Amino acid sequence: MSVMKSERSMRRNSGSGASERQRMIVGRVLSYMALTIAVLLILFPIYWMVITSLKLPREIYRVPSLWPQVFTLDNYYKLLFDEGFLHPILNSLMVATTVTVVSVIFSAFAAYSMVRFRYRFKGLIGRLILFAYLTPGSLLFIPLSILMAQLGLSNSLQGLILVDLAFSVPLATWLLQGYFRGVPRELEEQGLIDGLSRMGALLRIVLPLSAPGIAAVSIFVFTGAWNELLFALVLVSSESQRTAPLALNYLITSDVLPWGPLMAGAVISSVPLMILYFVAQRFMVQGLTAGSVKG
Amino acid sequence: MTDTPDFGRRRRWLTDSRRTHLFAYALVVPVLLLIIGLVAYPFGFAIWVSFTDRVIGSVGKFVGLANFEYLSRNATFGAAVSNTIFLVVVTDILKLGIGLGLALLVNQQLPGRGLFRSFLMLPWAMPAFVAFLTWRVLYQPVGGGLNLVLTQTGIYPHVIDWLGQRPTAMPSVILASVWRGFPFWFISILAALQSIPKELYEAARVDGANAWQRFWMVTAPGIRQVVLVTALLSSIWTANAFEHVWLLTQGGPSDATMVFPVLAYFGMQTQRIGEAAAVSVSMMPVLIVLLIAVTAVMQRDDER
Amino acid sequence: MKSIHLSGFNRARRMVVSAAITAALMAGTSSFAIGQDQPYSGTQLTYWGGLIFSEDANQLLSDTITKWGEANGVQTEVVMINQNETVQRVSAAVESGTMPDALDLSLDLLMIMSRQNVFVPLDELYNRVGEAQGGWYGSIDLATDTTEIAGGRTGLPFGASGNLLLRRTDLLEAAGFDSAPATWEELVAQAEAVNAPPVSGLGLALSNVGDGNVQASVLQSFGGRIADDTGENVTIKSEETRTYLTWLKDAWDRGIFPPGNATWDGAGDNQVYLSGQTAFIANTGSVGIAARNDDPELYEFTAYSALPAGPIGTISPITPQVRAISATSDNQEAAMALLEHLSQPEFLREYYKLAIYGPVLQGQAEFEAFNGEDPIHSGLLDLVQKGTAPGYPDVYNSAYADFMANFIVPKMAQRVVIDGWDFDRAMDEAQAAGQAIYDKY
Repeated sequence: MSVMKSERSMRRNSGSGASERQRMIVGRVLSYMALTIAVLLILFPIYWMVITSLKLPREIYRVPSLWPQVFTLDNYYKLLFDEGFLHPILNSLMVATTVTVVSVIFSAFAAYSMVRFRYRFKGLIGRLILFAYLTPGSLLFIPLSILMAQLGLSNSLQGLILVDLAFSVPLATWLLQGYFRGVPRELEEQGLIDGLSRMGALLRIVLPLSAPGIAAVSIFVFTGAWNELLFALVLVSSESQRTAPLALNYLITSDVLPWGPLMAGAVISSVPLMILYFVAQRFMVQGLTAGSVKG
Repeated sequence: MTDTPDFGRRRRWLTDSRRTHLFAYALVVPVLLLIIGLVAYPFGFAIWVSFTDRVIGSVGKFVGLANFEYLSRNATFGAAVSNTIFLVVVTDILKLGIGLGLALLVNQQLPGRGLFRSFLMLPWAMPAFVAFLTWRVLYQPVGGGLNLVLTQTGIYPHVIDWLGQRPTAMPSVILASVWRGFPFWFISILAALQSIPKELYEAARVDGANAWQRFWMVTAPGIRQVVLVTALLSSIWTANAFEHVWLLTQGGPSDATMVFPVLAYFGMQTQRIGEAAAVSVSMMPVLIVLLIAVTAVMQRDDER
Repeated sequence: MKSIHLSGFNRARRMVVSAAITAALMAGTSSFAIGQDQPYSGTQLTYWGGLIFSEDANQLLSDTITKWGEANGVQTEVVMINQNETVQRVSAAVESGTMPDALDLSLDLLMIMSRQNVFVPLDELYNRVGEAQGGWYGSIDLATDTTEIAGGRTGLPFGASGNLLLRRTDLLEAAGFDSAPATWEELVAQAEAVNAPPVSGLGLALSNVGDGNVQASVLQSFGGRIADDTGENVTIKSEETRTYLTWLKDAWDRGIFPPGNATWDGAGDNQVYLSGQTAFIANTGSVGIAARNDDPELYEFTAYSALPAGPIGTISPITPQVRAISATSDNQEAAMALLEHLSQPEFLREYYKLAIYGPVLQGQAEFEAFNGEDPIHSGLLDLVQKGTAPGYPDVYNSAYADFMANFIVPKMAQRVVIDGWDFDRAMDEAQAAGQAIYDKY
């Protein structure tokens, strides 16, 4: 709205409405062209993933083409029924959901504490959280697998959840801190005066006001847990405990890469996330950046 | 920012009682325990291991700096240092350019911009594993989508071995990383752009500033902070990332795309945990510098 | 469309579940009634099998273990491990104390790990199996002896693989070559004759994977050595190695290698062969089977031969695959009984038909799989009978296995062809890196 208004006022000021308008139209056309080209370039790999999943192996390896000559759902059928890909998808769903819920609860508490109170070691704790978030996973996987074995959680989804938490909680705490800072203190004070407890103020005022931020953080954490491969690779061996990326990884046996089923699995495991992002992109822009970037 | 110090108010809150204090600690303790148990302890353990000759199946003994000394003589380690720096700097610059450009375009009052915004974010929604496998299919000399497009449209008639030769291997890895990583920049910058008060632009217009001047006078200062923090974060992520190089080239050909995390993983593969840990640990000083920079920038942000 | 080869874990899971139920029922109803003929009744065994080519072979292995478990009242769990990841998996498992009771692994890994007393000695079992089936092949017997480093034999061989040279007869015959190349020079000549984009003549891997280590065999056939006869001092920098590098550089400059061969993973050469874009590859034979399933035309035009010879002859190492029992297993007796069961002709007769392995026991040469009808299995039998021992002419020890695991030879090759280093510099680096590895043992 405000831009429109300013356009109008500009026109009045310059007194050359027609050429201004022309410029605007040209600008728009150019913008659309640039954006369309960008989107096409960006979508091409995704397109390639999808059509590869719809091709027969002979077409993938011997007579590649930009458009499949024969469309087949064989790869999907093979993946879902012969390989039972639904089970790892369910495992992933469970791991990612649990990690998300636990991370958000723990992190919301910690972030609230860090933002609203002043106490000793707060700076240290803040730094520790940031540091934890930035520690490379490749450094931790052997110690963590030993730790999981000591806890009797090797080869189990629980172990995987715990390890995923180690990476998601610092991130979520950090993002939420930024978001909570944006919640006006006055609203909370009013709540306290009205007889809410501290916990009540957090649950009834801060959390609802931060809903977009929490949505963004949830999506972010969910994605992280859904994607995780390195630790699943090290911690889980039994079929019954495999997550989706791990099950796909197991399709790559030593010699021939079954690109068709692999890309079918790629499609199946990215579609839910893509829909989520597509729908929630507004929250993502609002919430995520408020948290991560304004810190 | 809202977190400006306000001592009067804070004192009133604090003097309330020890209960508030306890409450504050109680809220932070679960996260603290988690981090100490699952990050700090394993981290300390890994540092200890980097000073031992531990191999799989034996605890090993303290060898001082021997692992680091061995690494410093190793040509591949040198390659990993320079490749990691190169990869981080170049992907950051590209992601900044692309992210900023697209954010400026989408920030206009264009009908349907929400749709564009959604499409532009898709690469980020793809699991990294899936994204880089897809890129490998694209880069394949045989039947890869990229070569197919180039040959069939006649842009370049010969098959290019994207990942298999020195001149193109690193650029190919960078392209795939930028593809997957730019949306974060795009969203961050977009949000920053949206938070710039429209009045500033209007004022600049009234002052007779052209588009270029408006960008430098209004836009640039408005997103500077965000770009800085995004750059630091993105650098740390890229330096730590494993999948892109592992799934595309495994560090090859020769050591053309070798980076720290892949080198550490190779150390694992050859069972020498001590050395593998030393690789990761030797990356820490740089990460710590970046980390301090992030904290400093954000604290300055808070103070403003 | 037949499957290329997928792990088939759904079926395997069902098997495991049904086995568990059966075992539970048996344990519940009859544990004391049949206690005598089921000495391991009530125990649990986890077995890690290596996923190999042919899904059917993997399935047969897991079914056989499950059935054995049912018959003996043992609750079994079979986990099939991607062979690309065996090393990381086993490493993590050893470190975290989560090793399975028994597992399949390559000889290299056995050699590296046996020093840490990760596996239990199996001498008695080894001898018993050998005596029952005509004795072990000499090369297998020699190669798998870990007595010096582990105080006993820790591995029970169950199959031998190695590299065959696969060639496209249609392309080569059209160019006038009717027989397999006997030397590396002939190989380059033949490859160059049929080298016309998109077909590349010579599909040998130069990357940091097992396939790339074929280059070590080429180097050795040129007279080069990794280390001296004590197996302690690296001697890779030599005139013979220079001759090998000269051959390699010359072949590279002729442009006969397929694109990407310096970054291929384990599947790279297979893929380029299956896509019809190379005339030669060195492979264990899995490509042949994949072609038989998916591309019969290609299978028809594929011939198999031994690796070409260098100045000192052919170096074509046999790579035994072994089974081992973890020292941390609580059920070592039961695991030994299982391993013995898996060494019986009844199982292996069928298994060899499906798996791409050569025999390890002389009695197994009589199996149907090796009757000459299948060129791939014949090639493997030939390899076991005439191939060279692992490492030969070098001393095969843990340091050698570690040297191979670090892909020093393909890395040296990459320095020359990718980075354009001169031979001395490349050899110096390999020499130093190799000595650093040998010094650790």
